[in-house]
Amino acid sequence: MIYKIPKFSPGGDRYILAVFGDEMNLELNFMAQGMASALRNSKIKGVIESAPCFASLLVHYEPEEIGYDDLIREMVVIFGSLGPSDNLELRSRLFSIPVMYLDPWSAECVEDYKAKIADKLTDPELIVRENGLKDVSHLVRLHSSSEYWVASLGFWPGLPFLMPLDPRARLTAPKYNPPRTNTPQGAIGLGGGATSIYPVATPGGYQIFGRTPIPIWDATQKIPAFQGDLCLFRPGDRIKFIPVTREEFDHAEAEVKAGTYETNIVEYQNFIVSDYNAWNHKLKVGAV
Amino acid sequence: MIEVIKPGLETTVQDWPGRHGFWNKGFPVSGPMDSWSMRMANVLVGNQPGDAALEAQFLGPTLKFQIDTVIAVCGGNMRPKLDGDPLELWHSHQVLAGQVLELTAAISGARAYIAIAGGIDNEIILGSRATFAKAGVGGIDGGALKVGQVLSVFPAKGTPGMIVPESARPKLSKTRTWKIEVCAGPNDDWIDKPGQVRFFSADWILSAKSDRTGFRLDGPEWSFTPRATNKPPEHGALPSNVIDHGYPMGAINLAGQTPIILMNDGPSMGGFINPYTVPTGSFWKLGQARPGEILNFQEISVQGSQKIAANLKKMCSQGTLLKTS
Repeated sequence: MIYKIPKFSPGGDRYILAVFGDEMNLELNFMAQGMASALRNSKIKGVIESAPCFASLLVHYEPEEIGYDDLIREMVVIFGSLGPSDNLELRSRLFSIPVMYLDPWSAECVEDYKAKIADKLTDPELIVRENGLKDVSHLVRLHSSSEYWVASLGFWPGLPFLMPLDPRARLTAPKYNPPRTNTPQGAIGLGGGATSIYPVATPGGYQIFGRTPIPIWDATQKIPAFQGDLCLFRPGDRIKFIPVTREEFDHAEAEVKAGTYETNIVEYQNFIVSDYNAWNHKLKVGAV
Repeated sequence: MIEVIKPGLETTVQDWPGRHGFWNKGFPVSGPMDSWSMRMANVLVGNQPGDAALEAQFLGPTLKFQIDTVIAVCGGNMRPKLDGDPLELWHSHQVLAGQVLELTAAISGARAYIAIAGGIDNEIILGSRATFAKAGVGGIDGGALKVGQVLSVFPAKGTPGMIVPESARPKLSKTRTWKIEVCAGPNDDWIDKPGQVRFFSADWILSAKSDRTGFRLDGPEWSFTPRATNKPPEHGALPSNVIDHGYPMGAINLAGQTPIILMNDGPSMGGFINPYTVPTGSFWKLGQARPGEILNFQEISVQGSQKIAANLKKMCSQGTLLKTS
């Protein structure tokens, strides 16, 4: 469901959360991203920053410069001026990210959690059960079949929030209860309908079932693939996960250490929203 | 220049209000957890309230001054000594090159702030001198102080002989119990009435598994409205699961059944609900609470919480100080 007017709620003395709808789709993400840039361009006094995610926007403001109610009024006006997303055509880079699915490090992390914190199905088995898949190989085939849309960055420096662009690859999973206190660097996780990559070893709540050897954030800003940014990805990029063997993983990891690894980035494509919507519609019709 | 003789448990450079503008890339605000005490330490020595200073946690550092300067120590009591003589908290003191400041374990509160006239001159990363140690960002070499490091400070004369009057100091709890203000939202409508009543009536125990990213709380179970249980599958199946969204700093993040207050180095987004948020004006209490102590929450309006922060800002200024007679 997409709301006619965003739902606003306060987060303490300095934050407002605006929610645009109650599902995960590209249109809602365009609203969140569009609202973030419109708010930035509006230069409203007192707006410090904002953080868009799949279907919402968190705004950080200075209450000595603008009140809670006044800022909501301004945001409703801006929301009304956002154009429709279906005529958008935007530059979209495509990243090929090598992933060792069902890797030993994630498995070890899950075993450790089961032993010390709470017993549960292993993460890949849980996703298989939740989504009615045949087995873990089915999970790997399905998860690696789609391109993923970088909806936003957050949680930790450089961490991308991803959604599959192919509706047939949609998977869902409950989040950890309680969360892990640790996650292997580079782990691939699924929580709700979202996929993510853990940039470094951090706490985490997503079910983990794969690992990439390549860095996705760089405090030193020295890795060429980052093109001068701290983070590898930007919202509007796409990611394709390429299943690799242990041998290929180790090889890539050694290249990363040696500073010779070259991230595969395709930079000549546009993402045409109307074409995507038409393709999506065709798939849906086909499924009936 | 100031030499680190002993680093303490986890002493970091922080500035206030910290690192703004990078929430949408996952960089937290950082900055002092008890900004009241740090701002007071700064104004005591003649600095701007937000200048870079040191935050010591539980066990303070030992520092050797290679310059004549003015310092102040505020916040939790780590029994500071200058060349072995007790150094009064909430006062600014002249120190001479060669003197050694020693802080030990906190006997009250949890965090002490050391301000040095001129402020610490470390590298600005993404607009701030604050340390985000878990990601190696900012501060001195991206982390907490280490033995042998040397801190640079901006040249300044400083203002020795100033005092923060009793009335302008944070009142640390003597009963191991803290009353913490919270604003309802963003997701209070996911918690049912009995759950809300339990939240406000319970004694929440601050877990030892707490740090600058988050404070874990032990207490009763949560219960939910249909909003939390009847929702599209992309939220995730459990009641606390939500489509990933931005997290306010200070949010009481309900990860499964475990509430975690998202602190200064906390995550900027994630997929759990945040029923309540601790406003910034009440953060100093969290900064001074010790694991095992009890937090009681009481509701405050957004406007009320903004007033607290504004009053605090007004108070943390040179005009509040007295001169030693």
